Amino acid sequence: MITQTTDWFDERLGIAKFTRKSLNKIFPDHWSFMLGEIAMYSFVILLFTGVFLTFFFVPSSKLITYHGAYLPDRGHKVSEAFASTLNISFSVRAGLVMRQMHHWAANVFIAAIIVHVCRIFFTGAFRKPREINWFVGTGLLVLAIVNGFLGYSLPDDLISGTGLRIAYSIVLSVPVVGSYLGFFLFGGTFPGNAIIPRFYTLHILIIPGLIIGLLTAHLAIMWHQKHTQFKGKGKTNRNVVGVAMWPAYAFQAGGFFFVTAAVIAALGGLVQINPIWLYGQYVPYRVSYAVQPDWYMGWLDGALRLMPSWEIQAFGHMIPNVFFPAVLLPGITFTLLGAWPMIERKITKDYEEHHLLDNPRDVPWRTSLGVGILAFYVVLFFASSTDVLANSYSLSLNFVLWAFRVLLFVVPPLAAFVAYKVASETGAVSTTGRRKRILIISRSSEGEFSTTETALRAPMHEEVIEELPEEIRYHAIKDGHEELASAIAVGAPSGGSTISTNDVDLGPLQSGGTGVYQIPRTPRGGTGDPRGRISRRDKRE
Amino acid sequence: MSIRKTSKTLLKRAGLIPIAVGTLTVGGSILALYPQASSAQSNNTSHLSNNASNYGYTGSYIYGSKTGGGSSNSAAITNLTLSASSIPLGKSLFLENCSSCHGTQAQGSSRAPNLQGLGAATVDFWVSTGRMPLADPTIQAVQKPSRFSRSQTLAIDAYVASLSSGGPLIPNVNLSLASESAGATLFSTNCAACHTITGAGDALASGVYAPSLSVATPTQIAEAIRTGPGNMPRFGPLTLSNQQVADLAKYVGYLQHPNDRGGIALGHVGPVTEGFVGILVGLGSIMLAGFWIGGKNK
Repeated sequence: MITQTTDWFDERLGIAKFTRKSLNKIFPDHWSFMLGEIAMYSFVILLFTGVFLTFFFVPSSKLITYHGAYLPDRGHKVSEAFASTLNISFSVRAGLVMRQMHHWAANVFIAAIIVHVCRIFFTGAFRKPREINWFVGTGLLVLAIVNGFLGYSLPDDLISGTGLRIAYSIVLSVPVVGSYLGFFLFGGTFPGNAIIPRFYTLHILIIPGLIIGLLTAHLAIMWHQKHTQFKGKGKTNRNVVGVAMWPAYAFQAGGFFFVTAAVIAALGGLVQINPIWLYGQYVPYRVSYAVQPDWYMGWLDGALRLMPSWEIQAFGHMIPNVFFPAVLLPGITFTLLGAWPMIERKITKDYEEHHLLDNPRDVPWRTSLGVGILAFYVVLFFASSTDVLANSYSLSLNFVLWAFRVLLFVVPPLAAFVAYKVASETGAVSTTGRRKRILIISRSSEGEFSTTETALRAPMHEEVIEELPEEIRYHAIKDGHEELASAIAVGAPSGGSTISTNDVDLGPLQSGGTGVYQIPRTPRGGTGDPRGRISRRDKRE
Repeated sequence: MSIRKTSKTLLKRAGLIPIAVGTLTVGGSILALYPQASSAQSNNTSHLSNNASNYGYTGSYIYGSKTGGGSSNSAAITNLTLSASSIPLGKSLFLENCSSCHGTQAQGSSRAPNLQGLGAATVDFWVSTGRMPLADPTIQAVQKPSRFSRSQTLAIDAYVASLSSGGPLIPNVNLSLASESAGATLFSTNCAACHTITGAGDALASGVYAPSLSVATPTQIAEAIRTGPGNMPRFGPLTLSNQQVADLAKYVGYLQHPNDRGGIALGHVGPVTEGFVGILVGLGSIMLAGFWIGGKNK
């Protein structure tokens, strides 16, 4: 029955070849390659919980008298958005857990993107040919942060309303076009009635649509270019060594989705987030002390707090103070972030393709630069909680503020220096990163001590390297991968799955299955002998 | 062979333990930074209403409760009458504990202000919240368990009030006549700008802070509103009626034990603690799981 169905589709769409290639797609196996997956799975959870929330959320700033289940707010004039969020939290079955999961998933989503970006940066995975995916990824990060802020603003509560007020002032601070931009975005002056419905459309339709589009491109490019891999036994710039999509990788990734979902569901059910009923409806003349944005906006909030109250004149006009920390800083940040592959290329003059990752300690200058820049934003991030820190540790708020102003310029160079030292020192030791061997200390009958190094135990998940089956070797030679066919082979324990190059189906493995495979990689834009395109790094070794 | 194998497996697993312990410790310590309000001072509440009838009215200083808030229901707050017979006890307590700074007649000194004419409510607030006696007058007084019993505190109040007329009397809030809903609106308009919307308190400029309201009694709340201790503005009857003060006291009482749906409340300080939990506990535990199931460099 299944065969008939699949045959029916195959005869019409020719999907069998694609499916077989996909199922045999090789994924290098390393825990750090799963960081981006966390972001993707959190996004899936965001979609599911978000759809649930749209059934009950009313995107309207129209004021109504609240008569719901939350007693202290009864009789208050609240917006329909706020009232419906209270309704989700108190009356809708499973509403609160869905809302909290949605919020926690957003926090985890952006955090996962950040660590994913860090992994890509510190291992040099953005180098040619993966610059486009770096641009796409930067766009995804910006969209995720923006959408997080929009979603945070939708409940129309006191804290998020204050955030919106700040956002409006930031828009106004843009020279020349600020007031027009603010009018365009908010549909008039703040607060107006247009924000909630507009932000709702942006939050649930336009930006998620863009995210899905870019995410698809992100994955498709990754799929097409094949994954990078760390240096290791049998791994070269010319091949991909890893586990096959089916079954090994599919189960690993699928299981990881459930882990992600479990953690987010546990947080959503057990830990309170954004109890808007304690904050109340946003009213422009009311404000709560200690207003922070969600963590991913914290660095901007911190920059606003740390900025001295300078009045800067240019072209005969005063440029509003908030323009520098809140518009210029993120502008520079994301421009430099997005342009980093080009900047690094200008520095290194390295025009080769790289499929083998750098270990962060191999490139101390990049690692230390990254750590320094990261430290800058971490200081800004912590500066967002000056008041909470001052209150928790019984310090003066002014002292904490000035401490952060100093730290902002002291910590990054210090962190960069330490990172440089650590990277270059550990990189110089040949045994760094290798598994330690057990030394046996023995004492002879004369009382002399001696040490013997034990043999390295086979790791728990050894990648078995075997001779390539003859038939595959033939195809590899035919495609011009002689060095592959002769020198390196793959492990292939059992079963009958296939292994494929980019273009040529290599046919079934004699004993394929869940083992570790390596497949050749065709160079992109390369002409002539593919071996001539080996990177400088490889040459050096 | 098998023993060595087992021990090596254990060694390998042991590498995960510091990471797990580290994450849990950091997460735990962050949670510990924002402990839930303890019930340190709550025992002061009940004395007030019980002992109220024991004190006769001493008389000459009457706070003008009829002046403000024309529409207010004065029954929401009744003024506590102080016993003249407790004045000698109050005097001796004042001389022992307060006079070194405030002077024997509460006339003040270079170290401390004149208390005459500030009213019983002012003295009662500072003494009953443990802020007085004060160790260091140069920093903001810290709330701590009071050194005196309720009757001793009232005796001190009576003594200081007897020195000069004027100032607010000790308010006794009738919470049954107060409205939580009205209090919520008043709180977010008048109080949240310093005490935060959840009443958690926060640091203000130059080492000054708005204290947490988590252990404040209704009487102390009403006293603070009427007398404006420290940096806090004084809200007289023309600004907030007695009814409104009672509503506020009721809502602050609600905030001390709010409807905390949704699980562990992270100190009611907003997104700061949420961010730490999201990153360290949320992403941290998912990354640990990824490290566990993903491959490692050999």
